[in-house]
Amino acid sequence: MKSISLYEEKGSMLNRLGPESKILYIIAALLSPMLAGTKWVGFGFIICSVILLVQSRVIKKTIPILGVSGFILLTVVIIQGLFREGNVTPVLSLGKVIFYQEGLLFAWGIVINVLNILLCFCVLILTTKPSDMVENFVRHGFSPRLGYAVISVFQIIPQMTETMATITDAQRSRGMETEGNLMVRIKAFIPLISPVVMSSLINTKERALALEVRGFNATNKKTFLNDQKRNAADRYIEWSLIVVMILALVWRILKWQVL
Amino acid sequence: MDDKKCLSMNDLHFSYTPNEEILKGMTLEIDERSTAIIGQNGAGKTTFVKLLKGLLRPTSGTIQFEGKDLSEFTVAQIARHIGMVFQNPNDQIFKNKVIDEIMFGPLKIGMSEQEAMDSANEAMEMLGLTELKDENPYDLGLSTRKLVAIASILAMKTQVIILDEPTIAQDYAGKEKIKEVIRRLRQQNRTVITIIHDMDFVADTFERAIVFANGKVILDGTTREVFAQKEVLEQAYLEQPNVTKLCYGLGYDKVFLTTDEFIQEAQKQIER
Amino acid sequence: MAGIIVKNIKYKYPATDRLALDDISFTVEPGEFIGIIGRNGSGKSTLCQAIAGLVPNFYKGAYGGSILVDDLVVKDTEISDLCKRVGIVFQNPFNQVTGSKMTVYEEIAFGLENLGIPKPEMIQRIDDAMELLDISRFKDRNPFDLSGGQMQRMAIASIIAMKPDVMILDEPTSQLDPQGREEVFQAVHKLSQQGITIFMVEHNMEKIAEYSSRVILLDDGKLVALDTPGKIFSRMDLPEYGVTEPAFTTICKGLHLKCKNTDEYPVTLKEAEEVFRVYQSQKEENRNG
Repeated sequence: MKSISLYEEKGSMLNRLGPESKILYIIAALLSPMLAGTKWVGFGFIICSVILLVQSRVIKKTIPILGVSGFILLTVVIIQGLFREGNVTPVLSLGKVIFYQEGLLFAWGIVINVLNILLCFCVLILTTKPSDMVENFVRHGFSPRLGYAVISVFQIIPQMTETMATITDAQRSRGMETEGNLMVRIKAFIPLISPVVMSSLINTKERALALEVRGFNATNKKTFLNDQKRNAADRYIEWSLIVVMILALVWRILKWQVL
Repeated sequence: MDDKKCLSMNDLHFSYTPNEEILKGMTLEIDERSTAIIGQNGAGKTTFVKLLKGLLRPTSGTIQFEGKDLSEFTVAQIARHIGMVFQNPNDQIFKNKVIDEIMFGPLKIGMSEQEAMDSANEAMEMLGLTELKDENPYDLGLSTRKLVAIASILAMKTQVIILDEPTIAQDYAGKEKIKEVIRRLRQQNRTVITIIHDMDFVADTFERAIVFANGKVILDGTTREVFAQKEVLEQAYLEQPNVTKLCYGLGYDKVFLTTDEFIQEAQKQIER
Repeated sequence: MAGIIVKNIKYKYPATDRLALDDISFTVEPGEFIGIIGRNGSGKSTLCQAIAGLVPNFYKGAYGGSILVDDLVVKDTEISDLCKRVGIVFQNPFNQVTGSKMTVYEEIAFGLENLGIPKPEMIQRIDDAMELLDISRFKDRNPFDLSGGQMQRMAIASIIAMKPDVMILDEPTSQLDPQGREEVFQAVHKLSQQGITIFMVEHNMEKIAEYSSRVILLDDGKLVALDTPGKIFSRMDLPEYGVTEPAFTTICKGLHLKCKNTDEYPVTLKEAEEVFRVYQSQKEENRNG
């Protein structure tokens, strides 16, 4: 594993869009349900996200995420459906177990929110190269140093994992047990962690030197090798998203007025 | 040859992933001679020594140590008999004092506090580290830290000692110290195996050289025999030691390994 | 092209008592290839870092004297400016990979982006650097997928793309296998042929003798000698300084065979072969005569 990244280049439409559009999509997906005051907007975005993910051929990667969260959400539904305070109206009964409408509706709201958040983030994360995203932030004025700190994590952590494996081998070679009961593992902790920390510190210092001599701390304006990914499609989509959010707000206002 | 004293490998195969075989059927016997394993990176040298240490298990084939199959033992058990100094001392050093670091291994394999202390003192003396025993290893230079790592394995008094690239970043004095250590270990009848890229050091110090290429052994013999094979070495992207290059360049029949040999022989010729 | 003038350089690392560099002075002409030798702890890396400005601008510490790279005073120049003139490559190839780029091509661009080089020029410089270091075929690979030798060549390419006049290499091959070492030495040789002033720290005396125009011998932070490889390695007091000479020189010293018409011993394979041939033919002559 050379870098931690869920991104995979598939040549899809979403791959070609710049990160800004996708970030705006997340904002729209999260704000619009709140602005409109109804969960159906959230549901709409979920459907939209799923269509986008299928079209980009990355829907398979969402399955582990959905699987884990799905399990948690199911427990929420069950608990709220059975035990929520204020549950009065029975809706479903399995033998002696009774599910109430109020609880289920409440849980349904949570499910929609959580799925919406997860899926719209997936739309961003699974179709955007991490370095493109960070470069984008830097182009907009984000500190390049902070940008580097974020992006280097994706590759440096796997390297540290490999070092960790070598360190484990070295200490096991000296007769140290690493597997067994809790006591054994506790004893193994310092001999394993300490070299990891020291190596990381030493490597970090050497890397800082290497960065320094490549002008990392230069104060002039930086240039970019890659062209910014931005075209008519981006602008079109961004405006559409803004329009959607405005419509959501309008819908809310209309609802009040009607009442 | 005493069967008890050696490591023997029979048709050893190893792959990390099913479609890429690293070791492609090695049959070897390591005897008491000091042995250098040389070859390009990726040829399988590191994998090979990891198999000797039990850190990896063969995909097929067997390794026997003193007549017993290694696969029956745990890494910790193997560590009592086969010690290995890893290439980067920073990958193992974690104690605040040199003496504590050197005593760690011996204590782990079951020596008493006193035995471990004595053994550590002996190892430090061999490597010229006695004055530094209370220093923090990280306050020492990288090359000295490497010597601490070597001492920490020597102190475990294993029958076999594997050194992974011992001469990296060492200056002339450091290399001489390591040469001396290897000679002393040999006198104690302990088997030294090393992975190394410094051909001059091999020529000067080791009795036997084994050349790995693409997961196989392509040359195996005394260092003199192996370094005479210029063409085969080139196939493995290796060079001859400098002294041997000079012999070759001058068209000599004999292969010389060290400057002393060359000088002695040449002086005899001069006197004729 | 840049000449280096080092005047009375003294330096102590922070929180230490010992002078890492002790009153060193010398001058280097543009285009020279200077080998730096000495035992571990003699100040070789510190000298490299002083020429690159990392001492004192990165390491701080107590600093005296001056180093001039052409007209630039190193101490008074920000590293981000000095790096356009003086490049430095370190021992460990892994720690010179930024980790922020996914391809070798982008990795080499890193320094150029920092310096604000316009894109068209960036592309030209990267292509040239990759060709010089013979790594063009790796341009789309992940930097961490390269071998040690390839990674070190990428590190050199990343610095060369910044077009420095001076290139410093601090034990660039010690972590590499023989093939990797050979690749790097050939690359450094090409750089030297382009007229770049080079400083190289190495323990491999045969390579130092082969490539250097002059050699600096350091001991305990002091400059012991700066002279041609022939003169330096012909010295008989090298063991005092914890260094040795090339194997060929050791042999010739043992046989008292000096280079023709000089007071120096051979230091390269070719010179040694030549000396032996001359000696053999003289013996033949003596026998026949």
